[in-house]
Parts: sequence; C-alpha cells; structure tokens
Amino acid sequence: MITVKHKTKEAIVGYVFSLPIIITVIVFTIYPIIAAFYYSVTDYQPLEARKFTYTFNPYESLEFNTGILREEAKDYPLDQMIQSFDPVTFVEIDVGVNLSDEDKESIRKNFDSLNLLSDYRDGKLPTEIKISDFLMKYMKSDGERFAKYRPKFVGLENFKQMFKDMYFYTSLSNAFLYSIVVVPIQTLLAIILAVAANSKIRGKNFFKSIFFLPAVTSSAALSMIFWLIYSKPGILNQVLMSLFGRFGFQPIDYLNEPGIALFAIMLMNIWSTAGYFMITFLAGLQDIPSSIYEAAMIDGATGWQTFWKITMPLLRPQIVFVSIMGTIGCMQVFDQIYFLIKNLRNITISFYIYKNAFEYGKMGYASALAVVLFAIILALSLIQRKVVKEEY
Amino acid sequence: MEKKSSKKNWPVIISYIILIAYAIATLFPFTWALLVSLTPITYTDENGNPHGVNIFDWPPNVKLFPRPSAFGAPLTFQNYKLIFEVVPLYGRWLLNTVIYAGLLTIGNLLLDALGGYAFARLKFPLKDMWFTLFLATMMVPSQVTLIPQYNMLVNYGLVNTYTGMFLPKLTNIFGLFLMRQFFLNFPKELEEAARIDGSGILRTYFTIVLPNAMPGVSALAIYTFLGAWNDFQWPLIIASRKEMYTLTVGLNFFKSSYYTYWQYMMAASIFMTIPMIIIFLSFQKQFIETGRAVAVKG
Repeated sequence: MITVKHKTKEAIVGYVFSLPIIITVIVFTIYPIIAAFYYSVTDYQPLEARKFTYTFNPYESLEFNTGILREEAKDYPLDQMIQSFDPVTFVEIDVGVNLSDEDKESIRKNFDSLNLLSDYRDGKLPTEIKISDFLMKYMKSDGERFAKYRPKFVGLENFKQMFKDMYFYTSLSNAFLYSIVVVPIQTLLAIILAVAANSKIRGKNFFKSIFFLPAVTSSAALSMIFWLIYSKPGILNQVLMSLFGRFGFQPIDYLNEPGIALFAIMLMNIWSTAGYFMITFLAGLQDIPSSIYEAAMIDGATGWQTFWKITMPLLRPQIVFVSIMGTIGCMQVFDQIYFLIKNLRNITISFYIYKNAFEYGKMGYASALAVVLFAIILALSLIQRKVVKEEY
Repeated sequence: MEKKSSKKNWPVIISYIILIAYAIATLFPFTWALLVSLTPITYTDENGNPHGVNIFDWPPNVKLFPRPSAFGAPLTFQNYKLIFEVVPLYGRWLLNTVIYAGLLTIGNLLLDALGGYAFARLKFPLKDMWFTLFLATMMVPSQVTLIPQYNMLVNYGLVNTYTGMFLPKLTNIFGLFLMRQFFLNFPKELEEAARIDGSGILRTYFTIVLPNAMPGVSALAIYTFLGAWNDFQWPLIIASRKEMYTLTVGLNFFKSSYYTYWQYMMAASIFMTIPMIIIFLSFQKQFIETGRAVAVKG
C-alpha cells in the first residue's frame, strides 16, 4: 500500500467532498453568468437558435418540391430534375426554415443538389433527419454554419435600445419605487414587532409562530389569497364600504387600477415579510445585555430615548442585513407581479426580463436588461454597506 | 428592576396591543381564504332545492351552530376533493412537487453538507479562491443566469423533465455557507479523538461528523424543501407541458382557467400551504434558529 502523506490525503478528500458543488456551480452558475454577458451583446433569439434543430422527412419535402412521388423518382432523368430544382426554395419553403441572406448565399453556392436528388432517386434518404444534420450532409462546404447557432454580435446595441424603451424606464423605476416603499416600512415594522415581542409578555413563541406563517407560504398562494381580498366585490372593499361608505367611499378595483395596483402588492409584500424579519431583530435584541438598559434607566432615559439611542444603534448589523436582503428581494420581485399585475405600466424589471426572454423571444435584449439589473443590485449593496460602515 | 408603579405597565400593554393587532392582520387573509375554500359552489337545501352561493355576499353570515355555515351554505371539505376532479392533472402536479422538492432536498443535503465540511475543516489547494468565487456569485440575481440555464437545458433536451428541473438546483451556495458555518462551530474534539483512534477523514465524516450534525442538516433540509415547494419562477420556465407543472404553476393555471371559481382557487391555495404549515409547526425551532444564524452571518 502506498502511504500518502496526511496533507495530500486531506487535499484529495477536500476536493472529492467539494467537487460536486464546484462542478454544479461552474456549470449552472458561472457559465450562465458568462453566457448572459455574451448574450447581452448579441441578438440571441431562441426561435432562431432552435430552427435547425427540428427534424423533418426529406422524402415528403422533396415530393412537395419536385412534384414527383418517391416511387416514381427513379424513372425521371436526373439532369431534368436538377434543372428545375432550386435548393434555396427547397430549404426555405419545403423544409420550412427561415434563412438569412448569408444562409441563402451559402446554400446557393455550396448545396449539392446532384447528390441529394440522386439519393432521392435511389431511395437512400433517411425518413427522418435533423435539419442541421441534413444540411451538413448535403452541403459541399460551409455546412457547419447550420450546426451551431451563432447569434449576431450587435455590440452595445441592446443597451442603447434601452434608452429608447419606455417599458425599460417604467419597469426599472417601478422596481425602485417598490424597494423604496417596501424596505423601510417592512424593516421598521419588523423592529417594532421585535421590540414588542421582547418586552415582558407571555406567549412570545405563539406570536413568533403566527408572524412566521406568511414566510412559509408560497408567493403563488399568497397572491391568490390577496387577489380575492383585493377584488372589487371583495372583503377589503366591503369593510371599507361599511366604514366609509357614508362618506362617499366607492369600491376600488385595486389590481386593475394602474395608480394603485403596485401599491396593493407592496402592502401584501410588507405584510408577508415583516414577521419573518422580526425574528432576525428579535435575535439581535436578545443579544443586547440587559445591563445596558438598566444603566440607561438609572440615568433617567425615557423609553423613547432608549429606543433611538440604544436599541437602534445596537441593532445596526441586523438593520444592514435586513435592508440589503430586502432590497435585493424587492428589486427582483417577480411572482406577485406575474400573478397579479395586469397592465404593463405596473410591471417591474424582473418581469420585463422574463417577458422579453420567454414571451417576446428576445433573449439578447433580456440578457442586457438582466446585466443592468445585476449592476444596480451590486451598486446598491455596496452603497448600503459603505453608508453603514461610515456611520458606525 | 420590577417596579410596582402602574406607569411601568404601559410598555407591556402597548406591546400586547401591537402584537395582537398584527397577529390578527397576519391570520385574517388565511382565515378568509380557508372560509371561502370550505364554502360549496352550489348546495341543495333540505327541500331538494338547489342554491347558488355568492362568496361576495356581505355580511358573510358565518354561523357555527346548528352547523357551520357561511354565505348561507353549510361548510364542507368537498372543494378539496373537487379540485382533483375538475383538474384531473392536479394529482400529478402534487406528485411533481413532491418529487421536485424531494430530489432537491436529498441533493442539497448530501452535497452542500459535504462541501460545507470541506470548506470548514479541510485544507486543499485554491480553497480560498473557490470560496471567494462562490461568495461573489451570490450577488448575481437569478434573472441573469435563468436564460442561459434554460437554453442549456433546451440543447440537452431536458426541458419538461424532472432532471432538467432539479439538476441546476442540486446544490446551493446558500446551503454550502449554512453548512460551513455550522461545521465551523462544531466541536473539533470529536474529530480529533476519532483521528487519534486511526479513523480516516472519510470514515470520520460519515460515522462521527454527520450523525452529530443533525441540527444543521435538518435546518438545511427544511429550508431546501420549503424553498423548492414554494418555487414558482423556475418551474414556470422549465415546465411548459401541463403534465410537468408543479402546484405553484398549477395555481396559475387555475387562475387563468377557473378564475370565477374562487372556492376552487382558495382550496388549491390552502391545500398546498397546509404541508408547509405542518412542517413549520413541527420544526419551528430549526426555522427560527436558522433565521437567526443566517442573520448573524450577514
């Protein structure tokens, strides 16, 4: 047996243990990040990327194109068939792929019609073949251009386009608005709840459990529940009507009113996360030694003074954490928007990215938007960290 | 420090008011959804006359006696059965969700814990570089990686497959950090004792470390399962065939196809929430402790 030095052994085991995670992170996170930056300077279109990957039956396409049935083909003279055969028309119409001008040019120049038609006559064609494989086979050269999709390089065109895109501004400013409203309110509310729960009360754990409930519920289910509550004949309007109806309150269609819909979702978001973040603050509060409060009391500090002069500064690490996590979450808010927002004036940037990539088929542009979102989130986190450090 | 003055009690009273008010605010939407989910869409009275039920009736007319009723109709669990009938795929979606959340939990449990141990305890070349790199990728929003991940899976024909759904989520950097943090606080003496007894690193890990790491491992398992169960964006993208939907994406289907059947939609929403509430209530301590540990790290 070979004796391996302990250090080497440890290094080997270390890699064996961490390799699965290293590999998955490289494949599913690091490569996609690089790819996203690459996509962002191209016109990546998923439909274009897939168009050569479909399969087709060459016999059927040739029958359509030539008007000669496959059984009769061998009786036709080859040169006669070739004369009336146009490979570009064949690929574009009978095989059914859209071709760029360069593709057409290349097919016109390099397509081996003779080879294809004689295989047709001899019945040597497959009955099912991928378009890219087919073109590879019957192009004398340059067939590789169809094997792998290369999106067109457009430089900074996608980023320039954003400046002219009204929905980019709308969705980005909505995400900012969302964060600016939600983060401070949810943080403050969480602190208030934590301070309340940290006083000498009974049933602390009972309240903690209840406040945590929305955090374990999917945003999909919460969206549905709030859809019901916010609907025009729904309970929110009913309650408000019975309270303020006599002052002329009219039911509001919260989610269809462009000026209100986003705020309705913000309220739902605050409701669903404040209790969760309260746990964080409660943990922070419990770490503050009670001797500090006792000292403050001896010095004659009021409850209000104690809160602002002692509690808040000592909660700073938690405030940083909650506001950074909250901002990152809010800037990326997606599920609730997907479920509840019905007009484009109220969408946020992550939803607009989704729409571009998976509904409009503009993945290059969507990636450029995602890169911008990334830059913004990075900048916000750095600023938040810096601001807090300086104030310390 | 207890003073017996009545002034001293004010903070406690205010605290109670705040907590009770917010508890009501938190519970109310769930209670309302539950009530609607228990209301039948139509019902037949004792005389055999059919009645429609309007869940927007006001006041809701909730009665517990002689039998529980609301909106003038007796409450029933039938909607929870009916969602499986009106949408025959609902059972399949439930299965898909269990598979997705289950596979993810197993994967993360094994691999994040292994990696976490390596990064906490073992010395290997480039460890710090990998760690910094992982840390950096945490800042990247999912919107950036989503599109290339999707394209990659399309190219390998993995869209609308379980493999495609769980493969990119098999490990989680957040889980790695959680486990690393856990093992850093893990008493070294146990491992050292095992090593003196001549046990190798591998054996030490599986026989000594892992069995004693249950608090950390179970917290990771709970968080992973919960996250996967409630995940919406990734299944929405990767599962375009109805057979591959998860419950969250299925809810979206309810919304677009049964949008006037509030009772079904609420039953579906409550139905998928109940397992999470059960898990949460059974493992409260881990949930709240992990929330705390994560916060301290930040």
